[in-house]
Amino acid sequence: MSEGAHRWFMTNIRDGYLVVEGCPECGARSSFFSTEHVPPVDEYHDGGHFWIYLGSSQATKFDLKCGDCGKTVDLCDMNGLMLSACRDPGCAVGELVRRQGPGSWVYVALCPDSTHAGGRCVSNEGIEALNEYFNQDLGAMDRRVVVVPCRQCDSIDRCRGTVIADVGLTDLYAETPEEDRRRAKGRTGGKE
Amino acid sequence: MKVSELAQKAGLKAINEFRDREVESVYISDMVSDILTAAKAGSVLITLQTHKSLIAAANLVNVAMVVIAKNRKPADDVVELATRAGIGLFNSDLDTWALAKKLAQLGF
Repeated sequence: MSEGAHRWFMTNIRDGYLVVEGCPECGARSSFFSTEHVPPVDEYHDGGHFWIYLGSSQATKFDLKCGDCGKTVDLCDMNGLMLSACRDPGCAVGELVRRQGPGSWVYVALCPDSTHAGGRCVSNEGIEALNEYFNQDLGAMDRRVVVVPCRQCDSIDRCRGTVIADVGLTDLYAETPEEDRRRAKGRTGGKE
Repeated sequence: MKVSELAQKAGLKAINEFRDREVESVYISDMVSDILTAAKAGSVLITLQTHKSLIAAANLVNVAMVVIAKNRKPADDVVELATRAGIGLFNSDLDTWALAKKLAQLGF
């Protein structure tokens, strides 16, 4: 870490639910963080959208604070992080992923509104702090984390990657391809 | 203690090729959101999870190794991602509690 750089740690860590909604009219997706005991599933009109509940997962939000100067960066505009596997040459994130060498990983910081219709995304200050935080202890390791805002994705709804979220974790993987085929037959009444 | 030494002393079964780095602490969790905010760099993560999201979180936190309890087996794409990340992926016949006791006996 260079002299004068921040020394970040996570602060204001709070647990809740990440609730994902979709508008069937236009295909937009939206998400919000809820600290209610049960994730809200209401459907409602909002402007030109009709938001319906698509799903939810347990989630944790946090801010970053510098232990040296006390500065805090609010990350309330970030709803999650996704390890990008994008290879789309027409996408800035896909191009970035393709340019990375071994040991360099691109994560996309996800904001609440996939359409970015309001012009908002994860703040530049937040992205800068996240990059510093996830790289500050790497030392001599041949390793680097690059965090980019989801506004850089060509289409975050189509983007390939692994979202860090507590959803789908109980899905069972088949141990062998034969087992997978056997399970598929079970689901389809014996048809391939 | 290095990953390889810990694996040998704790009787862990290696699933992939890994970077043999120093292990500094232990964290136990089955929630990736919790791993992201609470696991430490250089830690051994004990979990029941085998989902790819686990590796995405472990890689971001820079954990040294993941031990999957009760001999659960991750899918090939999970192993491949862990290998690319240099994260040692192991499994054990022991349950989480027994693994924790074993690591405590080893000085963690």
